[in-house]
Amino acid sequence: MTTSKASTSSSLPDRAGEAFPALSEHEQSTIQAAMNRIIPSTDLPGAEEARTIDWLNVYLSGPSRVWARPDGSGFVTLSVRLERVWHERIQRLRRVYGAGVADLDAQARSLHGATFRDLAAPAQDDVLGVMERDEEAAKARASSERASFVVARANSNTFDERTAGFFDLLVVHTRQAFYSDPVYGGNTEKVGWSSIGFAGPESMADVVAGRYSTLPYFDEEATT
Amino acid sequence: MTRRTEHVPLVIIGGGASGATAAKLLTEAGHQVLVLERGPWLSFDEFGGDELANVNRNYLTPDPDLHPRTFRPTDDLDAVVQEYSPTPYMVGGGTTHWAGWVPRMLESDFRQRSIHGEVDGASLVDWPISFAEFEPYYSRVEQALGVSGLGGANKFESARSAPYPNPPLPSTRYGRRFRLGCERMGWNSFPMPIAQLSQEYQGRRATVQNAFVHLHGDPTGTRSGVLSTFIPDAHRTGRLTIRTGCYVHHLVTDRTGKITSALYYDEDGLEHEQSADFFILASNAIESARLLLMSTSPTHPDGLANSSGLVGRNFTTHEYTEALGVFENEILFPWAGGGFITECSYEFYEADVSQPFIGGGLIAAGSAGIPLPINWGLPDRPRWGQAMVDYDREFYNRAMSAGVILSDLPQASNRVDLDPAVTDDWGLPVARITQAPHANDIAQANHLVDRAADILSAAGATKVWTNHIHELTGNSRHQHGTLRMGDDPATSVVDRWSRAHDVPNLMVVDGSVFPTPGGVNPTLTIMANAWRVTEQLIRTQHT
Repeated sequence: MTTSKASTSSSLPDRAGEAFPALSEHEQSTIQAAMNRIIPSTDLPGAEEARTIDWLNVYLSGPSRVWARPDGSGFVTLSVRLERVWHERIQRLRRVYGAGVADLDAQARSLHGATFRDLAAPAQDDVLGVMERDEEAAKARASSERASFVVARANSNTFDERTAGFFDLLVVHTRQAFYSDPVYGGNTEKVGWSSIGFAGPESMADVVAGRYSTLPYFDEEATT
Repeated sequence: MTRRTEHVPLVIIGGGASGATAAKLLTEAGHQVLVLERGPWLSFDEFGGDELANVNRNYLTPDPDLHPRTFRPTDDLDAVVQEYSPTPYMVGGGTTHWAGWVPRMLESDFRQRSIHGEVDGASLVDWPISFAEFEPYYSRVEQALGVSGLGGANKFESARSAPYPNPPLPSTRYGRRFRLGCERMGWNSFPMPIAQLSQEYQGRRATVQNAFVHLHGDPTGTRSGVLSTFIPDAHRTGRLTIRTGCYVHHLVTDRTGKITSALYYDEDGLEHEQSADFFILASNAIESARLLLMSTSPTHPDGLANSSGLVGRNFTTHEYTEALGVFENEILFPWAGGGFITECSYEFYEADVSQPFIGGGLIAAGSAGIPLPINWGLPDRPRWGQAMVDYDREFYNRAMSAGVILSDLPQASNRVDLDPAVTDDWGLPVARITQAPHANDIAQANHLVDRAADILSAAGATKVWTNHIHELTGNSRHQHGTLRMGDDPATSVVDRWSRAHDVPNLMVVDGSVFPTPGGVNPTLTIMANAWRVTEQLIRTQHT
């Protein structure tokens, strides 16, 4: 059997670290603060406990950690073509997040006289609300210039990460970080799964080995 | 420089549901088969439970930057790049990531033109074969896959020659709700027949029931995709060769119109030429039509097998839509079994003369969108904040859908052709889909959705939404019609044995040959037809 999605040797030289500079401490704490408003913590854990910024750090580190190996033992090495396209897309994400943090801080100073991460939660929600409205308005302008037939349908996945703006990414990525398998850096201790009531597998290896079963969640009146 | 490989008797282009069916029968009958597959052949441990990779990061589906498609509703508009009907490009094809629904078409699906006459703006035709001729092949495929179901439970089912080989899977809570809703409405429902094993079958253990099914591969090999059935069957004969990473982009013909070879790019982008005596096309309706359109030559300026002008035309794609419901007083666990171990109703499958539209489709229970935490959703969930996460916690386990499949009318203007501007990562023109709904499609789909809503309300849903459609998006990932079957070469591309009218050594085994799409998931019908026509090929051809 052969695979062309994975290759046996990495084609990326050690310059990967240069191509994907880590988020600064300020950027990380700002983004985590924003994620904490997307999925807040109350009596139940939120983005903070799930450590969603770790998820983002993994993603933004480059194409070497885009797909986990199904048994959870690491990550799939992409083929040359896939590595190229993921490289470009992740670089764009890195730029959007960098610019997004700058925008958050600019709005925060303008509205409340401090950087975003230093504001109290209600003020942070204010700032995020402004960012959301501005981005929606920009999208509405763009879509009226684009083809009129590109319509969002309720059950089609119309979110396209390749063109999404900062606020859209923040919302979607916080969900992904909170609810994806812990191998990606978020959903720490599976707090996301337990908070939503999803009985996920003990480990990815359990799924591959056929040990993970959802039979207990079938109809209790049914006999098997 | 094009590298020539050793001549073989027979090539199958595509290692998915239909290609694997043909490969199994041919190798078991003693023939050497070479499958040229564009993608990889993943081993079972390369599939797993990972919503992020499989649903959000195209782990199994074509990368949209490497393999774009373009879309426009009508000719007067410029097409835009859009991910459309993504199915896995790899050995196993669509059966790699399916949940495995295998409902049958009805007898009436084969005679839609005879029943309804001509419909304005549509290209409605009968199939060139009867249900009676076709039915035995449904049974063959069901037996071979070990389909779990209950024959006779569907009140509207056409005659069957054999029972299902395995009894239905255990019921899920959301399946039971749907059944209850149907009962209260006085409508028939039955366990959705599924390509999974409710018990040990032919040496394979009962299907492991996990949550990662739809859009996920099967690491246990206990679901009945072709990777765990027909591919190993063919492989066991010692007569199957699968060459992966082979992107066939042109079929070369000689002066008599016979195909002499297939040109393909390997993973490094180098071109190879594979000559063979006989070619079987199994790349699904979009890519099979695209390959024929790319195979232009001085003798075939409009592409291969296209004297009718119909290659790519009459494209149908169904459309999934649904009614959604929340049961505030019930825990449904909609992710149990992956969200698709379900009940189904054909109550609104066939035309109801009291309605101002023809045709219909199945209605079946399912999850509210993707059944998994990241991507599940309901229309009024707040976008972010405490309200969003409260909503997730309150409703994730209490939401379900009653989904419907639209049986869209074939229209000559709905078609696949080659985009004049956009190319893929190999520099080849991409498939451009032109597709707009017929008025009948809108009326039918929305009627089905309203009936689906009735079922959920009757079942006790405390809130119900209806997703009425306004356009077609290819969201079902079902593809048919682009190389339609018929007896008359002027109005069809392949004959009743799926042999190209114009090309003596070309047979097509995927869903592109469907003259009309029916209102069911097509893979069972695709595989049954592939079985039927491959048996005929074996009977009549000496390779």
